[in-house]
Amino acid sequence: MISSIVFINHKGEILIYRVYKDDITRSETTQFCAKIVATKENKECPIINIDGTSFIHITIKDIVVLATTKVNVNVAMTLQFLYQLVKVCRAYFGGEFDENCIKKHFVLIYEILDEVMDYGVPQIADADLLKKYIQEGGLKPELMNDVEKLKQLTSQATGATSWRPPNLVYRKNEVYLDVIESVNVLMSVKGTILKADVAGSIQVKCLLSGMPECKFGMNDKLLMQREPRKPGQTTTDKGITIDDLKFHQCVKLPKFDKERAITFIPPDGQFELMTYRITENINLPFKIMPVYNELGKNKLEIRVKIKSIFEKNLFATNLAIKIPVPKNTANVNTNSAIGKAKHEPDQQGVIWRIKKYPGDFEALLRCEIDLGSTTNQQPWIKPPISMEFQVPMFTASGLRVRFLRIYEKAGYKPTKWIRYITKAGEYLHRL
Amino acid sequence: MAYFGNNQQRGELQELFADLNDLNFEKKKEAIKKVIAYMTVGKDVSQLFQSVIKCLEFQDIEMKKLIYLYIVNYSRQKPDDAIMVIQNFRKDVRKSENPLVRALAIRTFGCLRVPKLNEYLIEPLKDCIQDDDPYVRKTAVLCVPKVFEVSPELCPALLELLQKLLEKESNALVLANLIQSMREIEVVNGKQLILMNPKIIQKLLLAIDECMEWGQIFILDYLATYDPVESKQAEIIIERTLPRLSHINPTVTFCAVKLILKYLDHLDNGDLVKNLCKKISPSLISLLSWNQPEIQYTILRNISLILQKFPILFENEVKVFFCSFNEPYYIKYEKLDIMVRICDSKNFNQVLNELMIYLNEADPHFVRKTIKSIGKIAIMYDKALSEAVQILVEFAKNVQQANEPVQELFIQMQILYRKNRNLYKTNDSLKILFNILEYANEPEAKSACAWIVGEFAEFIPKSVDKMKEYIDNFLIEDRLVQLQLLTSGVKLYIKYPSLCSALIQQLINSAKDSFNPDVRDRTYIYWRLLSTDPEIVKNLVCSVPANSSQFQKDIRLWETKDLIIALENMGSISNLFHKLPNQLYKNIKIRNNHQQEAKIYKADEKQDIPQKEQEIKKEDQNQQIQQQPKQDFDLLNFDEPVSKSNNNKIDVYDLI
Repeated sequence: MISSIVFINHKGEILIYRVYKDDITRSETTQFCAKIVATKENKECPIINIDGTSFIHITIKDIVVLATTKVNVNVAMTLQFLYQLVKVCRAYFGGEFDENCIKKHFVLIYEILDEVMDYGVPQIADADLLKKYIQEGGLKPELMNDVEKLKQLTSQATGATSWRPPNLVYRKNEVYLDVIESVNVLMSVKGTILKADVAGSIQVKCLLSGMPECKFGMNDKLLMQREPRKPGQTTTDKGITIDDLKFHQCVKLPKFDKERAITFIPPDGQFELMTYRITENINLPFKIMPVYNELGKNKLEIRVKIKSIFEKNLFATNLAIKIPVPKNTANVNTNSAIGKAKHEPDQQGVIWRIKKYPGDFEALLRCEIDLGSTTNQQPWIKPPISMEFQVPMFTASGLRVRFLRIYEKAGYKPTKWIRYITKAGEYLHRL
Repeated sequence: MAYFGNNQQRGELQELFADLNDLNFEKKKEAIKKVIAYMTVGKDVSQLFQSVIKCLEFQDIEMKKLIYLYIVNYSRQKPDDAIMVIQNFRKDVRKSENPLVRALAIRTFGCLRVPKLNEYLIEPLKDCIQDDDPYVRKTAVLCVPKVFEVSPELCPALLELLQKLLEKESNALVLANLIQSMREIEVVNGKQLILMNPKIIQKLLLAIDECMEWGQIFILDYLATYDPVESKQAEIIIERTLPRLSHINPTVTFCAVKLILKYLDHLDNGDLVKNLCKKISPSLISLLSWNQPEIQYTILRNISLILQKFPILFENEVKVFFCSFNEPYYIKYEKLDIMVRICDSKNFNQVLNELMIYLNEADPHFVRKTIKSIGKIAIMYDKALSEAVQILVEFAKNVQQANEPVQELFIQMQILYRKNRNLYKTNDSLKILFNILEYANEPEAKSACAWIVGEFAEFIPKSVDKMKEYIDNFLIEDRLVQLQLLTSGVKLYIKYPSLCSALIQQLINSAKDSFNPDVRDRTYIYWRLLSTDPEIVKNLVCSVPANSSQFQKDIRLWETKDLIIALENMGSISNLFHKLPNQLYKNIKIRNNHQQEAKIYKADEKQDIPQKEQEIKKEDQNQQIQQQPKQDFDLLNFDEPVSKSNNNKIDVYDLI
């Protein structure tokens, strides 16, 4: 499978070098560093083949994480493994992943690399689990000598519910649910929707004792059709069509496939229960209406009207609308009733920021752009207008959580909290 | 502590040596860390081998791991010293109560890769394969291919043990590693080791539900190489695999897709196939918009394959492949490529409208590819022709400099004019092109321009002057341009004999002594023909080909017969490079039992075999045409063997 894992900085220097199979020499790797990483060629393609050796890599900020191989491996798996490896490192380094912390913790990284992969085959790569037996500065001697504890640990690590340790105790049992939706939309120059989808994610923070079995339900059309109607009950919510769902490993997939029921034994603490994708009947929270005029050779005018399309009692927060301007922009006069708009040359655009924006409301921004003269006669390539926002207590897909039932031997009643938020993903309108 | 000592002094090794032999434990540990740091940056610290392994006597596990790392790195250089640690390993494996230590020892032991040490390894390894602790077993199982690679002669007993374990193992994770390890051995050995039977299949399917993501991948990947014996069996395996389509790890999903797609061929229930396709499609589309671009890229590279065999999966889904402004270009290129493949007589309008937007992008390669794609679509669908030309003409209006996209513009316009000569009238296209003719600088683009000037001489003002300009520079042009200039020059002469007599003389004078035999020969042929019977020349070079539909319409990437093999390797490196595994890796032999045609799954009725064969014939024709797309070049091209069945050409030979 994979012959070696290498961490490289942006100059092409090797920071971590772990060999699993010695069919690739170090000099082949240093060649890759010198030719590809140092010249930034790696940005052009995630997999490069040189003389029968494949270099599969991802770039996280300035660090290139590389896997080398001479055999016909599954590329998607290798890439996913590299991402997972970075995730594990981050979990150990408090979210950081840069040259400094790699150098500082290199002993730990070698330990991790020893565990997450064996003979080039991915093994246990779950940070929570690894933390049980790999710790900075070595394990405590008490654990090392307690054979019973160790056996429990290895059976958890290799067992069917490896993500949850047994015998957890919380004085107060609580569950927090966050439904986070990113709306991606691409509108044509004329304002027709070219494509729109919602990428949703349900984040759970679980502080529960014992081995709770959870059942989660939402207004999934396919599920609601299966449920028998209770007499006398009239519901207007017919449910929504979900294109696709992807679940955390704790969710019992065969059960979902058969009954469309989401059941699971949750990991301890925070995790992403599921992600989903929806393309039908999306409520776009904002409409963008731009008008572009060339007023003269050196003068442009862009007017942007935005309209919020959600209920009046809701508010959107932290709006930032980026209106692109040409490189040779000398001066921009902006005029709007609310928010602040400013030309930010490093972003090559006018950024219109509004802290709080009510529902069912229209606002207009007018930008007059003076252009400096340039020798470059290339016409300006107009990037799309993009928008950032957050709308709490609103879901663009119309998704609602209907229940979260928790069964545990002890029969406790946990407190449950839920939040909804819709954010802009790639919210673009072509200009 | 210092990680990278940039100015490493001479005494550093001695200093480390002293620290390693110090009585103070902490000092030893720090020294070991330093040794590993030097090893990482590529400095040779093998001289310290003996001192380092002496430190193994301590039970500190962190230090032990570092020392093992060191030993693995240098054992091959110092096999004799490595023997000294054998006792340590054996002690750890046999005596330690701690499963983590046992596993660590056997894992490292396997990595030594020194043939003469392996005989000491066999017995402990046997013990570990039968260990009570699953963690030790999963490690030991992976140790076998390590030993097998170096000393296969020691292994028969181990392999037997593995086969036995496959029968009785109940831990899903161990099972997954076992499958992976046996496959690795199969690759080296070339013999089948995993003996599939319904019981084992049942076991593997059960294990998928229980083991972690990577294990699921190994098992699904393995099952995807298996050929189900009957429809019912395929159905059961598919049914058990379906839930994996909802797994959060994109590779698990992708492997499940791969397995199901492969097994579809074995199902005899058409409705079931359709239903399954409906289930796979949304899952696959989610992967295409995965937020890690590298993974998205690998999936996209496999789409052309899926698209060719299962067009049904992407029915009405062309929008998925629209490019976002901020995507990396390697993704945009793939999407563009797929958009052309997915384009059909229903959606070409939508695709063309989208491509038009991409013409405004900043990257010249991308714009060039977009223009090429527009050309391809216009060639494929007659109805798209006029819209495509309109888009290209609009683009031509804004051209202000000689850049890459302009070159492609000329090439594509030439092809479109060939397809339909009357297009020159549309939107003043000819006039607009003529205005930017000077921007052509690549040979192919220049030759396209020369063709345009010759072909449409009567509609271009001052076409003769333009041709003179070209002919003045004849000697410095590329062969391709020279050949086209000869033909175009003759065309012009036929059209305006009196105006061009000096011109044609100049042309022949420049070309007749060319070092290039093609150019020389073509010059002489035209020369002689012109002096014997200009009428023949006229028929030859100025005739409008009656059948203008002979264009390369086939854009399928894979040979139909390779589809099944390619599908089995979906997701692998070879597929990523759009090759078969044996084309990329010499040691891989592909199974050759796929004589049957690959089934194609379309949205409407499934295509039957006779139609398929027709298509293949057509494909062959197309390939010939592809080799000689420029018809009047080839009329007189002696490079090509005569066997090409081009009627015109044979005529010419007769005449000569």
